[in-house]
Amino acid sequence: MKSPYISRRLFVGGAAAVGATTVVPARAFARDDVVVTISSPWGADRPFQKVVDAYNAKATGVSVVNRLDGDYQDMATKALAGVAAGRPPEIMVTGWKFGYFARRTLGARDLAEVDSAKADEIMSRFKPQVKPLVTIDGALIGVPWSLSTPVTWINMDLWREAGLDDDIPLDISHEWLIEKATAIDKALAGKNHPTYRSALDLSNNEWTSQAYIQNAGGYILDDQTLTCDSPEAIAGMTAFAEPARAGIWTNMDYRAQQKAQYAGNIAIVATSSSRAGALAKLDTEFKDAMFPSLGRPRNMNSGGNFLAIYAREDELAQASMDFLSFCGSEEAQAIWSEMGYLNASVFDLGEKPLQTAATAQLDAGLTPETIWPGSRGLEGQDVWRQWVARVVEGVVTPEEGMARAQRELAPLVSID
Amino acid sequence: MSARIRMAKLAPYLFVGPAIAFVLVFLYAPVVFSVGLSLTDWNFISPTMNFVGLENYRRIFADPNFRDAAVNTLLYCVVLIPAQIMVPLALAALILRVRNPFLAGFYKSALFLPTILAYSTAGIAWLWLFDPLNGFFNAALSALGMPTSRWHNDPSLAIWCVTFVTFWKNFGLNMLLLLAALVSIPKSLLEAAAIDNAGPWRRFFTIELPLISPTFFFVAVTTTMNVLDDIVGVIDVLTGGGPYGQSSNILYYMYERGLSFFQFGQASAASVIIIVLVLVVTLAQFRMFEHRVHYES
Repeated sequence: MKSPYISRRLFVGGAAAVGATTVVPARAFARDDVVVTISSPWGADRPFQKVVDAYNAKATGVSVVNRLDGDYQDMATKALAGVAAGRPPEIMVTGWKFGYFARRTLGARDLAEVDSAKADEIMSRFKPQVKPLVTIDGALIGVPWSLSTPVTWINMDLWREAGLDDDIPLDISHEWLIEKATAIDKALAGKNHPTYRSALDLSNNEWTSQAYIQNAGGYILDDQTLTCDSPEAIAGMTAFAEPARAGIWTNMDYRAQQKAQYAGNIAIVATSSSRAGALAKLDTEFKDAMFPSLGRPRNMNSGGNFLAIYAREDELAQASMDFLSFCGSEEAQAIWSEMGYLNASVFDLGEKPLQTAATAQLDAGLTPETIWPGSRGLEGQDVWRQWVARVVEGVVTPEEGMARAQRELAPLVSID
Repeated sequence: MSARIRMAKLAPYLFVGPAIAFVLVFLYAPVVFSVGLSLTDWNFISPTMNFVGLENYRRIFADPNFRDAAVNTLLYCVVLIPAQIMVPLALAALILRVRNPFLAGFYKSALFLPTILAYSTAGIAWLWLFDPLNGFFNAALSALGMPTSRWHNDPSLAIWCVTFVTFWKNFGLNMLLLLAALVSIPKSLLEAAAIDNAGPWRRFFTIELPLISPTFFFVAVTTTMNVLDDIVGVIDVLTGGGPYGQSSNILYYMYERGLSFFQFGQASAASVIIIVLVLVVTLAQFRMFEHRVHYES
């Protein structure tokens, strides 16, 4: 009998075949799906991947790939490069604040143009008040996906240690907040407390400052007119900076603040309602209250992102619409609600923990976050954030800061 | 002309050609492209490209953020260039005098270690050390009963935090280069000087320093470029240029214009300014110091 002989050629061929089976995914040979790539800020460990997996499991003939591309700016940069190369992502998770940029520069598709009937069907599954948030220049450029609003988070462990009453109202005012933060600081500061470091943090950014200005009756941008130096806006910024001036707010960047809140270092934090999911899982007990009002009805803003189609080819755009249609289903919304965002759909998904305040604010109506118009609008946001920081730091008075912000912003937000 | 002679004439071009093509495509072409782009309002995807003349330059010179970034760049240069040359030189001279080889090796490794760390890794470590509420420095200050600080979140301290981390990250390489140069000095020269009663300081300034001047000059030039360019990694990880631009520099300003705000014309204008700045400073260094460099062995 001839003994088995493996030639060098046979060995190399066999090794290549084994290697190929490990490198090339089986699905590449399995079916001729249309592949839709989503540029997203979420990796495989987040609920969004579960939404994608649930859709792919249906084997509709469209295969969706979730690609983690970094934060909104990273995604926009990559999308810009993709558009320039003629290969944009089919869908991109797009921040609300990038609305004009998405439509005017990146060319986000009008869903009604892609498939009018399907677009109507998708939008019928969302609360009517969120439709204006995804309508830019009269075009429906996306499906509302992550919806959040700034709320007040209270660390109940520190609250109780400071001897304050557990009966916290849902609707709180700025005065109430300052009074309680001052009481906490008085009770816990300077006593070598193992975790307590700061009484309050209102989040030094463009978003919560906008909420303060709107709650004072003003706007940063009224439609497309700059009104950030109005008396109402100045009153809002004065209140916003007050706790920093009083020494009960240790002003720090977003990363440090988030870490400190999770570590139980800050007693009260006003920031995004989207932290609900993470805070509910911590050992520390948190309670949510509405964003502080300023002696008049609130006019709260929203934030988050939407799913927009950038595919140029019709087949890919239609396939993308099919996935967006799934995203609007009760099944997808139920999976996604684990993340901690507000339920923008019409489905009753039950109230998730720590979402009472955010839901109350949504029911009262939310404005969009500031979407800076003009081809230099993204610069506008940065300029605004810098002036907010200067006011909070006390480098300028609110009056001077808002006036100078107005002057610096005017040429950036002009429509061109 | 025979084929062999033709080939012999062609050979140098064939050997050098790929390297020249590489430099042309990846270095000079982008520079020319940047200069062209700085005179337009193109954003890479718009079908129209309008010539705007010097408008992008006018805009960035009128931008207070650019002025802040320029002042910060100057400050970084004034502090970091001397520090990143003098301190490594002093450390190299000291390590050279450590008699225990194991200890000398340990010092070299320990001081060089930050250089090989990635900016992201180093940045995370320093963010923890500088943490305004729970950082190591504040914990230490609290333990000593001293007031704490917000460090990189404090507008008046942010630039110094970036300066310190940049120095920590980069001085190791200069130290090794200068140490290698000092080691290569013939012992006989130093011994002869010692016999002639030259003290350690005199030997250092009149023999060692002149003999390492080529390395010293190389370190001076590369450090200048490094401070103008590489610092952006520390700025990005530690402060993002903030608070309100207090720790930014011109390169970070360029990065923001291009990749955060998608104003490629302005970003290109800033890049042209950086190129001119680096050229002028390097040229000045060559004019002022090259004649003092002793290239003879």
